[in-house]
Amino acid sequence: MKQENIRNFCIIAHIDHGKSTLADRILEVTGAIDKREMKDQMLDSMDLERERGITIKLNAVQLSYQKEGEVYQLNLIDTPGHVDFSYEVSRSLAACEGAILVVDASQGIEAQTLANLYLALDNNLTIVPVINKIDLPSADPEKVIKELENIGFSREEIVLTSAKTGVGIEELIHKVIEKIPSPKGKKNSPLKALIFDSLFDSYRGVITSIRVVDGIVKTGDKIKMMETGATYEVVGLSINTPKEEKVDSLSAGEVGYLYASIKSIEDVEVGDTITLEENPAEERLPGYKPMKPTVYCGLYPIDSNKFEDLREALEKLKLNDAALTYEPETSKALGFGFRCGFLGLLHMEIIEERIEREFNIDLIATSPSVVYEVLLTDKTKVMVDSPTKMPRREIISKTLEPYVKASIFTPSEYIGPIMELCQDKRGNFLNMEYLDETRVTIHYDSPLSEIVYDFFDRLKSSTKGYASFDYEINDYKESDLVKMDILLNGEVVDALSVIVHKDFAYSRGRIVCEKLKEIIPRQLFEVPIQAAIGGHVIARETVKALRKDVLAKCYGGDVTRKKKLLEKQKEGKKRMKQIGSVEVPQEAFLSILSTKE
Amino acid sequence: MANHCYIHIPFCERICSYCDFCKRYPYQEVVDEYLTALKKEIEDLYQQEELETIYIGGGTPSCLRIKDLETLFEILKPLKKKKEIEFTIEGNFESTTKEKLELYKKVGINRLSFGIESFHPKNLSFLERGLDISHIQEVLKEARSLGFDNINLDLMYALPTETIEEVKEDIQKILSLNPDHISTYSLIIEDHTKIKIKGEKPISEELDAEMYELICKELKKNGYIHYEISNFSKEKKESHHNLCYWDNKEYYGFGLGASSYLNHKRIMNTRSLTNYRIGKRVVEVEELDNHSTIEYEVLLNLRKREGIDLNHFKETYHKDFFELFLVEDLIQKKFLLVENNHLMIPEEKWYISNEIIVQILEREKYE
Repeated sequence: MKQENIRNFCIIAHIDHGKSTLADRILEVTGAIDKREMKDQMLDSMDLERERGITIKLNAVQLSYQKEGEVYQLNLIDTPGHVDFSYEVSRSLAACEGAILVVDASQGIEAQTLANLYLALDNNLTIVPVINKIDLPSADPEKVIKELENIGFSREEIVLTSAKTGVGIEELIHKVIEKIPSPKGKKNSPLKALIFDSLFDSYRGVITSIRVVDGIVKTGDKIKMMETGATYEVVGLSINTPKEEKVDSLSAGEVGYLYASIKSIEDVEVGDTITLEENPAEERLPGYKPMKPTVYCGLYPIDSNKFEDLREALEKLKLNDAALTYEPETSKALGFGFRCGFLGLLHMEIIEERIEREFNIDLIATSPSVVYEVLLTDKTKVMVDSPTKMPRREIISKTLEPYVKASIFTPSEYIGPIMELCQDKRGNFLNMEYLDETRVTIHYDSPLSEIVYDFFDRLKSSTKGYASFDYEINDYKESDLVKMDILLNGEVVDALSVIVHKDFAYSRGRIVCEKLKEIIPRQLFEVPIQAAIGGHVIARETVKALRKDVLAKCYGGDVTRKKKLLEKQKEGKKRMKQIGSVEVPQEAFLSILSTKE
Repeated sequence: MANHCYIHIPFCERICSYCDFCKRYPYQEVVDEYLTALKKEIEDLYQQEELETIYIGGGTPSCLRIKDLETLFEILKPLKKKKEIEFTIEGNFESTTKEKLELYKKVGINRLSFGIESFHPKNLSFLERGLDISHIQEVLKEARSLGFDNINLDLMYALPTETIEEVKEDIQKILSLNPDHISTYSLIIEDHTKIKIKGEKPISEELDAEMYELICKELKKNGYIHYEISNFSKEKKESHHNLCYWDNKEYYGFGLGASSYLNHKRIMNTRSLTNYRIGKRVVEVEELDNHSTIEYEVLLNLRKREGIDLNHFKETYHKDFFELFLVEDLIQKKFLLVENNHLMIPEEKWYISNEIIVQILEREKYE
């Protein structure tokens, strides 16, 4: 393939603006798959992705397209759409020269449209703007064109499409070929290939997704990971069309998969550069900075025998999710588990779900915590990512918490409720910008801890889903923070402790106790639930003792039914954790998040 | 070896709002076909054991016409009866006549069981049942004079909107009828019943338990023995048939939707009359290994006042109960009691026995 006929591009969009459907349609139009084989959202290979409708694992597909007698190789690199995954977006961007920016024809520009656009521009990508879903009755392309004009695009370069009906797709592909530059790398230079994703396959070991920047890599080559120093022999190379096809080599500008019987996961770092052992490149590609987790929680197997399985699961997930961090942690209440770091709440939920589904481990997740900075009276500084690590109050001189700059994009009629919500979440108003007469971006300086709780849900419900939101970590600010403990049957359950702002502690304590009362089933004895700060009880509820749990009637000797019911009851208990003498259901550990009255 | 036998008569003239059991309107030809199929089932399965108990339940067996009852008893004739057999028939008062009682007497029935369920007009209308107290008294008087000295009455409680006062009145009224045995059941809102479809909700756990405690206290005060979670009797009037279930003994179950326990198998008959008639009787078989037999033994035995007979347990399963189930903590916390080599749930904990049984089963030591 002539290098000048290669185009590497990705699609970026706000969540739900039709990115995956658009990718499917491009696959179909280029003949990569025919209509019969078409499963909705072809690129999302995990069940979870298809169900949640969001792309959480990278995927690259190579397409072939003929235009004016020339054959072009189009490498479409899929990217996730959610704010939590902007790190993964930047990974995809590093492998591309251009990006299709998709905007929904009725929703218009939203917070993540802008966030992703700025990321792409930072990476020097050429942008092809697209207004999608023009078939919808509510579509208003003219309005969206104006919005795009407002952020610097010209009317002529915007393509109108309907991924659903196929309108505009050919035009879009032409635009991609015309506008996006071909890769610039040198085929004759020493090999430099960027690892932009990897996954573990039980037969072939680690499979890496690579973008060859300079040089050429062939099956049988001795390769070296420039960062980790590990060396391997290339066992195979392939491309995804979207069926896997073996190739003998990948050269400058091309995207594909490489496997080399890599059994040890630590040897492969996403973002690293692959070169040849003989004739190595002088320096690695810039890669990209790994993002730091902002939210931490403890993950514990309900069945304590599954601790090692959980470790293995985390190792495998980390392979294509460099942002995930974990280290062993012990809880008095929950036993052995891991303190895990995530990019945000959604990232956390997805990792939990993947562990439960793909690795079949029932989990208890403790309430998420951000990383606090605590200055002690002896002038030392500690970073606290778990309430259990909070030092005693007597030795603390100052506590600081991370703040974010939150950007909320909304129709102007919701300004009121949004401001109310932000004040409620301890936010400080920064400013407000109008995109046009009806759309506005509101900026708030807010504590991250408040954002990770239920901010997003409440934002959606108070704006009927119209507002969108994005945030970036800002800095640390002093806050009056305290550790609130929860006691069940008089004993502190460390996994339920949480760090809260002092002014909010009473109401939070009350809400959490009420919620726990709902969640914890009646037991053989009464269970007092208390919230306490430093031994001082601030809220209390009681789960009354069980009064009735009996199968009275026996119809015509049908005792099998009784046994089945008891077995079901017994089975249900397996989903609960015994803490002291109290049986606590999984969801109790997240009840601490609840702030609803 | 089964020495107990249940026979199901799936016919009712009215459908009570709470009933999810197997019932049909007794059209003559349906009854005829049913009895023919029942005869065939008994002939196919009965192994000539001498029976200690026979229980004809329903439905409403008493709603059959005299000649159908005669046919039924003819069908049951091949069943061998021990001399001291307990032979029960269920029914309602409305359909029970002097003629039927005389027929019962003639064929050897010695125990009668009637559903009354409630005395309060509001609750009766909720249950969609009728009540004619003078007719009840008349039937009971007739039965007594024919020599029936073992009569059970059913009482329900914990109906939506029912008050503790109403339960109190019901207890007084049922006591005034002087039954030998009383079965009490708190209402369960089962799927596919009229009340479930109407969206009725159960009363609070607290009130339900309070009603149960009241019933236990009042009946005990009046000389009834609370021998099993839901059943009370005068001395020596315990239902042997009822106890055969809780003693984990084998039994035949003939008829539509009936359950049986034979040769280590728990078998469930079809509820489809069409299938039953053509001999497609069995819908579910649970084959019991030693482990599940033991589980049944535990969960069934613990319904009784006397609980698990630990000697009998050891003889039957060749293992000491406490070697199999590590329940020391439950005994210490008084959720279980050991007395005279029996392990039982103390009466004041019966109403939460499910949870206790589940906890025992959880403490099973696997080898």
